Amino acid sequence: MRDILGHSLNFQYELLLPEIIIAITATLVVGADAFRNELRLGRRILPWLSVIGLVAALVVSLLWIDTQRNFARLITIDNYTTFFRVLFTATAIVVIVGSHEYVERHIGHIGEFYALILLSTVGAIYMAAARDLLTAYVAIEVLSFSLYVAVSLARNDPRSGEAALKYTLLGGVASAMLLYGLSLLYGVAGSTQYTEISGALAAGTGGMTLPLILGLVLIVAGLGFKASAVPFHMYTPDAYEGAPLPITAYISATSKAAVLALFLRWFSGPLLPALPDWQWMVALIAVLTMGLGNLVALQQRNIKRLLAYSSIGQVGYMLMAITTVSVVSASALLLHIGGYLVTNLAVFMAVIAFYNRTGTEEISGFRGLAQTNPYLALVITAGMFSLGGMPLLAGFLTKFILFTAAADGGFLWLATFAVIMSTVSLYYYLQVIKQMYLYQPDGDARRWRLSPTGYLTTAVLLAGTVVLGVYATPLYTLADRATRVLFV
Amino acid sequence: MESIGIIVAFWALAVTTVGAALGVLVSRNLLHAIFFLITSFLGMAGLFITLSADFIAAAQVLIYAGAISVLLVFAMMLTPLASRDNANSLYLAPGALAGLGLAAIVGFVAVDTPWAELAGSTLAERSFPDTVRTIGAQLIGRYVLAFELASVLLLFALIGAVVLVHDRAAERGAAAAAEEAGTGPREEAT
Repeated sequence: MRDILGHSLNFQYELLLPEIIIAITATLVVGADAFRNELRLGRRILPWLSVIGLVAALVVSLLWIDTQRNFARLITIDNYTTFFRVLFTATAIVVIVGSHEYVERHIGHIGEFYALILLSTVGAIYMAAARDLLTAYVAIEVLSFSLYVAVSLARNDPRSGEAALKYTLLGGVASAMLLYGLSLLYGVAGSTQYTEISGALAAGTGGMTLPLILGLVLIVAGLGFKASAVPFHMYTPDAYEGAPLPITAYISATSKAAVLALFLRWFSGPLLPALPDWQWMVALIAVLTMGLGNLVALQQRNIKRLLAYSSIGQVGYMLMAITTVSVVSASALLLHIGGYLVTNLAVFMAVIAFYNRTGTEEISGFRGLAQTNPYLALVITAGMFSLGGMPLLAGFLTKFILFTAAADGGFLWLATFAVIMSTVSLYYYLQVIKQMYLYQPDGDARRWRLSPTGYLTTAVLLAGTVVLGVYATPLYTLADRATRVLFV
Repeated sequence: MESIGIIVAFWALAVTTVGAALGVLVSRNLLHAIFFLITSFLGMAGLFITLSADFIAAAQVLIYAGAISVLLVFAMMLTPLASRDNANSLYLAPGALAGLGLAAIVGFVAVDTPWAELAGSTLAERSFPDTVRTIGAQLIGRYVLAFELASVLLLFALIGAVVLVHDRAAERGAAAAAEEAGTGPREEAT
């Protein structure tokens, strides 16, 4: 089959195998949940099934290392796609393994919870893999819709429904803005294919600069909302606070990484010829995001809200890499995303384990954790220090490389601002650490243990945080290989 | 847009669509707002027809003017207090100002730009007999992936809708009944 321009199209469905596996697993999970009584399945079958599907997808996606193929000119299978396939499936596995106890206690619809995580992983992967605006848009919607519902799944928590409603309404507006921006881009470039757009923009827009700029404004605003960049971040703290903890972890990890992956794919490819038109927008948003995210985080009392604002600040750093788009800053961005995911998930998995035991989300509730559970206090401390950028942990190295890349890219003032804000962020991370180490436990001072899966996930992520901080070369090499394909 | 008929049709439909959309905002009664919305949808369908997009026009009438508006009416009638005033006017002035500003920007960009559109003889050469066949072939041919992805999305949107409106009290009651009968799976021991 050929498309309208005469390009031959291949429909090699095996290229989509990882996502097909995940989608089938998602429907199986819903089915197994629906017929659990009839089939006499144990309650652990659903997380097991999900993890098996995800592991299979992860292994299969390794088949296409160093290949450069596409499916019907809609999806690219290259190293960039493979990088994010592995990253997103691994994130989903960690979230599912680390939270199944929480899910049994606090989630109203267990089957749907796992199915939605699986499905949103498919959306996230296609956001990184798409090479056509419409496919990318459908992928964004797959991710967003799954998360709208997932946010509302907390049982007996009125904040959950409120969070879902805010997230859905504002998310719908953001999607509409994005779609309108994309339609303007289509009007200017005459195609929805990334390669055609980049060619058309490079050849000059022929007096159509205004719609291009308007389109870019709308695209940046729409994507900025999905990444919760300031000033489109208003929903983030409420959505984070109301959502069940594993979903908060998942949103702060996969959803952000997927939007950044899409950002990089668009702004290093089809939109690169329009660099002068969008560079200032992204730089402006990056500054606002870093500044406001970190400053407002200083006043938070709830750990979820603290992590929400901290993740907003992190998005600011990542947008900095988009501003100075180049091979160096792109691989620095991927490295930082990898480090951020590991660190952030370590903190969240520890907070989930903490919540399973104590049922509190207040930062003051962490009082004396160093006495009641020194291991968990250590994990949270390492994670917080890494997020704040202390040496010998993942956060320091990835931030260092990211800031250096931004400074080398001609945005020294942006990098300087990032360093200042990074120092500010240490204050609020230290607040949590102070509660754990300097105060006596409030009530029950007995020692307690985590569940086996709690130990497993936190230990793996803690190891990852430390190892990446000392020896990040392998991940950096992978990120470099993944981003080479973007700039051809 | 050459022939006078198309131009008249465009302006008539545009006035209908925009006027009805304004009516949605202005009307205090929700039911009136819904009827204005349907009118706006129909005007939009007419605009699609002037663009020779017959399939999209038909889909617009069937789905938006038909199914969704019926759904809205049902939702309104089944919701207590739905007939109360539908808005507060606290942000009327800033909202109107922002809306007008946005409309001015978008309008200016749309009018000012020399769009690469087909016109004159190149437009006359293209024949648009019907678009249904082409759209159908593209959907399950060229864009089969987006189609499949959208179908998965719709499936889970459906499940999500059920989850959101699921009566949790009823579920708890059922679970308690099942537990009494000794078949409660969610409550079994670790």
